[in-house]
Amino acid sequence: MAYTPQYYPGSASVGINRRKHMSGNLEKLRDIAEADVVAIMGHRAPGADYSSTHPPLKEMGEPDCPIRQIVAPTPGAAAGDRVRYSQWTDSMYFAPSIPYFRSYWGAINCKGCDPGTLSGRQIIEARERDIEAYTKKQYDSEMTDVALCSMRGCTVHGHSLRLEENGMQFDMLARTELGKDGNVYGIKDQVGIPLDKKINLGKPMSEAEAKKRTTIFRFDGVPMGGKIGARKYDEAVEALHHMWELRSKWGYRPE
Amino acid sequence: MVTESDTESIQVEIVPSRYLMPATAQVLLNEIYKNGGIIRIMIQGPNLPRSVPYGPGRGAPIEENRDLLIEVGGQAFELSVKVGRIRLEMESEKYFNGLKAACERVLPFSFNIKRGKFFHTRPTLTDYAKFGKVEDTRILGLIDPKAKRDKLAILSEEKVTFDDKEER
Repeated sequence: MAYTPQYYPGSASVGINRRKHMSGNLEKLRDIAEADVVAIMGHRAPGADYSSTHPPLKEMGEPDCPIRQIVAPTPGAAAGDRVRYSQWTDSMYFAPSIPYFRSYWGAINCKGCDPGTLSGRQIIEARERDIEAYTKKQYDSEMTDVALCSMRGCTVHGHSLRLEENGMQFDMLARTELGKDGNVYGIKDQVGIPLDKKINLGKPMSEAEAKKRTTIFRFDGVPMGGKIGARKYDEAVEALHHMWELRSKWGYRPE
Repeated sequence: MVTESDTESIQVEIVPSRYLMPATAQVLLNEIYKNGGIIRIMIQGPNLPRSVPYGPGRGAPIEENRDLLIEVGGQAFELSVKVGRIRLEMESEKYFNGLKAACERVLPFSFNIKRGKFFHTRPTLTDYAKFGKVEDTRILGLIDPKAKRDKLAILSEEKVTFDDKEER
């Protein structure tokens, strides 16, 4: 029998969603054009050449190294692209992906990337054409709700702030807006420079759907310790306690 | 047992569960104003800069945050924050229920309203650094101590005395 890793414990919806995010078996909800994703990232104009830090690997002549022979380079690494980033801010009001789970998704499913988690934002760095592909995957999949998540290269705060009246995550630089037709439009790139045209990002999730797809444990959603009066904690809490115990008592070396 | 006098001023804080759009803020503030009995009122929330403050896009204008004019009690002023919290001092307790009803009428979502002590009474070191000797104690607690002076907007029917600035 083929081994299928179970990435995360827990039988509550949040545990199931966390497993989904980590395994990469995500539902595709929308299709945003590649050129639009590139425009929002703002590193290069859509259609422009990729800037590079070294010549393509084939021209360079690599040293004789067994690891290089085993591991095929990503398209970006093979072409010698610059390393670029994409950074997300996800609202704590039931955004589908909270910062750590974007990182787990990146670390497990994206080759040649460097994910970083901060308190209210999450950044992934990779070679330019790789990060563009990874960002498009994040935009198109259920990891992203266009109202509660947005790409923010700077002035990132919004994660822990209350939502706006129309249900959008607060953004000081107003990079996205809710149109009259109910669609969310991207009007600026991730650092706040206005785009040439508005980009239709599609309809936001309803509150119930966001709660269904979220990976955040919250007292007013799915609490980590179970409902009040529950006789048994969720498996996720038991596993967490177990890890905590191993780590604090033996520095993760249970010998 | 000490019985509190009902003629004493009370301080109230209103925290809506969402940030208010300027139009809603205007309606809410006008309803609060109509309810009467206000000694002073402060609105607070995250800053809305007029241009991108840092990063590669620094200096790019943010048109969405400009000209957010609202009119309250016949006076117009420009919002520089997203309204997320309103603190006010009222002449007496009898205005409290009217205030609560005003919030219920205007806000389509939940909000928190509580009484307490939200404005300090003695000038702090920061107040001294910012205003010098404060003669009109009504301005105490009205502004964020970290805010720059040009962020300060005080509207008043009477002259507010501090330094040489009035009705900005």
